[in-house]
Amino acid sequence: MELEEMQTVWSQMSDQLKQQQKLTDKIIIDMTQQKFKNRFSTLSFYEIIGAGICFAAVIFIILNLQKMNTWYLMSASILSIVSLLILPIFSLRSLFGMKNLNLTTNSYKDTLVEFIKKKKQMLLVQQLSAVFSVILIWLVTPVFTMAFNNKDFFQQEHSTGLLIFYALVTIGVLFFARWGFRCYKSITAKAEADLKELESAEL
Amino acid sequence: MHTEQAFTNIIKENEGIIYKVTRLYTNNQDDQKDLYQEVIYNLWKGFKAFRGDAKVSTWMYRIALNTAVLYSKKKKRRGDKVPLEGVVLVEEAYDPVLEQRLKVLYTNIKNLGDVDKGIIFLFLEGRKYEEIATITGLSVSNVGTRMARIKDKLKKEIIKK
Repeated sequence: MELEEMQTVWSQMSDQLKQQQKLTDKIIIDMTQQKFKNRFSTLSFYEIIGAGICFAAVIFIILNLQKMNTWYLMSASILSIVSLLILPIFSLRSLFGMKNLNLTTNSYKDTLVEFIKKKKQMLLVQQLSAVFSVILIWLVTPVFTMAFNNKDFFQQEHSTGLLIFYALVTIGVLFFARWGFRCYKSITAKAEADLKELESAEL
Repeated sequence: MHTEQAFTNIIKENEGIIYKVTRLYTNNQDDQKDLYQEVIYNLWKGFKAFRGDAKVSTWMYRIALNTAVLYSKKKKRRGDKVPLEGVVLVEEAYDPVLEQRLKVLYTNIKNLGDVDKGIIFLFLEGRKYEEIATITGLSVSNVGTRMARIKDKLKKEIIKK
């Protein structure tokens, strides 16, 4: 279809749409209110739950800090607290950044550029979180063992089954992180190409 | 005039714009309904700040296109919707021949990249290059260059078929 023909079809459609205007005041207001409610009821539900779990774990570790009677358990506790606080904060921050783009005053191009940049940031945070989660598994295990059982994880004899379980979990998370990193690379490559195309539009 | 009333009047006068944008950036009616509400919600959010410095149509096109392009880039679709059946998305009212030609037209436009899609939409809406430049954030000369490229792309599509 050539441009001239497109213009004709488009203008025919526009004429028909003008004749069938059917929105009412009530429907318009209902739509704004429903969308407003949806924003708050579903806003980053899983991320907020995840952050809640992390913060609960931080409180639990702090409450049991006096049980950490060796330097390595104390170090593991402090590193766990720092990781459990920082990771969800960064994650939520990048997510809210994506949700709060200024759509009312930004131009179309600025919206796309800003979106691509925020998306890249979010993907980077997700990747770092995946890597840190592997470290976190090994940090919180001795801390929780002491907090729950009053036993030093490193002084205990562990069953082969438990060790295999930890090894499998670590391998699983590593594979997941590697898969995520590949996705990250492919998405960011596309984002970079989009960004270049948009920035070349300024010339 | 009361703010709410002024807003609903503007939406009613320009509902065709929202319909056309939402159809262009979605692939099924469910998504179209969701995007339709999202556009109206964002227009409402921006309405208080809108002081009439720009034309109403420029303001609407900007917010509708921004909302649509972001919507098409995000995967998640959640939340309840106000039923719109029989309100705005009544394609049955169209002439079937026109509807068929519209499908071809939309397919052609949807094959374009994000920037070109926005430009061709505004061009078909009869906007001048200056207004397209204001809405898209491109320079006027760039809009012209891109329009020439879009024409070429469309011609090539015809030759392929």
